[in-house]
Amino acid sequence: MYAKLTSVPGPVAAMRETEEARGDSPAGLGAAGDRIEIRGVNRIYQGNGREVHALSDINLHIRRGEFVTLFGPSGCGKSTLLRIIAGLDRQSSGEVRLFKQDPLDASRSKNIAWIPQSSSLLPWLTIRRNVELSARLNRRADRLRLTARKPERPMQVLRELGLGEFADKRPAQLSGGMRQRASIARGFVQGAPMMLMDEPFSALDELTRDALQLRLLDLWEKHRKTVIFVTHSAAEAVLLSDRVVVMTSRPGRIHSIIDIDLPRPRPAGIEDSPAFGELVRRVKATLRAGWEGA
Amino acid sequence: MAAGLFRSGATGRQLAYAIVAPLLVLAILGLLWQWVALTIGSILPPLGKVGGEFIERPGFYVFHLGVTLYAGLIGFAIGALSGVLLAGCIVWFPFLGPALVPVALMLNATPIVAIAPALIVAFGFNAIPHIIVATIAAFFPMLINAITGLRSVDRGALEVFDAMSASRGEVFLRLRLPSSLPYLFSGAKVAVTAAMIGAIVSEFTGTTEGLGAVIVIATSFLNLTQMWAAIFTSILATLLLIGVINLAERLIVRW
Ligand SMILES: Nc1ncnc2c1ncn2[C@@H]1O[C@H](COP(=O)(O)OP(=O)(O)OP(=O)(O)O)[C@@H](O)[C@H]1O
Ligand SMILES: [Mg+2]
Repeated sequence: MYAKLTSVPGPVAAMRETEEARGDSPAGLGAAGDRIEIRGVNRIYQGNGREVHALSDINLHIRRGEFVTLFGPSGCGKSTLLRIIAGLDRQSSGEVRLFKQDPLDASRSKNIAWIPQSSSLLPWLTIRRNVELSARLNRRADRLRLTARKPERPMQVLRELGLGEFADKRPAQLSGGMRQRASIARGFVQGAPMMLMDEPFSALDELTRDALQLRLLDLWEKHRKTVIFVTHSAAEAVLLSDRVVVMTSRPGRIHSIIDIDLPRPRPAGIEDSPAFGELVRRVKATLRAGWEGA
Repeated sequence: MAAGLFRSGATGRQLAYAIVAPLLVLAILGLLWQWVALTIGSILPPLGKVGGEFIERPGFYVFHLGVTLYAGLIGFAIGALSGVLLAGCIVWFPFLGPALVPVALMLNATPIVAIAPALIVAFGFNAIPHIIVATIAAFFPMLINAITGLRSVDRGALEVFDAMSASRGEVFLRLRLPSSLPYLFSGAKVAVTAAMIGAIVSEFTGTTEGLGAVIVIATSFLNLTQMWAAIFTSILATLLLIGVINLAERLIVRW
């Protein structure tokens, strides 16, 4: 399943220290076991003789219950990093710990909910059966109580996302925005402590997207999962997250991490506030600085 | 509601077109046929005579169709099933693909008309050689469609399965197999047609029963009417079989 693994020399220790200080949250007091730790992660792809340094010395700590966004230009390695955290890909070097677990162990214990870019529902199942998928796969994790997940009631999550009446429909009978909501519902029903979302809204029109961001915020306020969210949109990153990780490409690295100190839950109309606009400008300016520095 | 009316009107019009258009083409072809039959004579029999032949001896055609269907359908069942099973093995054990697909290609390229006599020498004057030919004919289209279908899974869905460490069996049964159903039905339609043609062609030698034998014997007596009556019987039967598969597809693939 994994692409070819390669080893590269470990990262420079001194750099790691500064990165770590930056990677930590401002409070920064969480015990090492109670957070996601990414240390000195490199990922090198080898394709027809050429090497692509997709990720270079990534250091990042994420507290339990935090909402973190990976933000950066196309090709900077956001998806690669997310796939490594999910255990779908393997780093060439460095270490990833998800609340002490290796990503593969976390995956085996169903502690990761993956929400892909396209809704990717199973077209032959009703929305309800789609949303219940996590109950049917890898039952071993539940039987042996390996998992830390707390499954949610499917109908309740569907209702919270405004899909209650559509539970018995099939995906083809729903609009694109509704399918994406169902995909998010599938993630929340799994009840895993970690939710990884790779541009879940990028294929939607702006209005649908705005509505879905608010739904996601509501659900997150209620369930407080640890979310790592990939996006191309600065406004989306600021609206949703506690911290925005700005990445640059070639090689993919973390340029800086911006704290979003807006109130939770986000008040209605916060997008129009000066503080919000200032943060969006800062995130964009940081991205641009990353471009020019590269 | 106006919108609803408009929509049902549109689908009604589409339905009418779907029925009328092919009938129109058939009518034109029929006229052309009649023109050839009545002006040149010895190439095609007039359609009226073919129809008369059916009315005169329905039992004769039903009997020979039964013989052909027996070999064709058993061959289809065995060929299609083994095609799906082998496709499953090839998708499950990827190293089998390069080893087996060329052999399957070779089998598919075998001129079945040529091996039918050899099979009769080997298995004698019974249904087995005809079943074998129909099996070979049905196998390949099913194999190729099933491989394509089992590999055509949505990437995001596969990621969702993998992120939960679903087992290979779960990925296969809950993702690959259902994803492949539309492909399996397309494959079955091609395979059933191939099996029927295979059965008929294999009946050209070593037997006096079945539509293939009727065609050969009628040809040797220059009996154009009987020959075409047998050909039309096989066409209608194959279309009917495809219709049955279409119906099953509608009942099962409801997305
Ligand atoms: N399987 C692979 N084989 C070779 N190179 C790869 C592979 N996957 C990704 N890459 C390369 O790694 C780099 C980072 O890719 P990645 O998909 O992580 O970027 P991204 O930030 O998610 O981009 P986007 O915003 O367009 O989704 C790119 O240069 C890409 O070409
Ligand atoms: Mg990406």
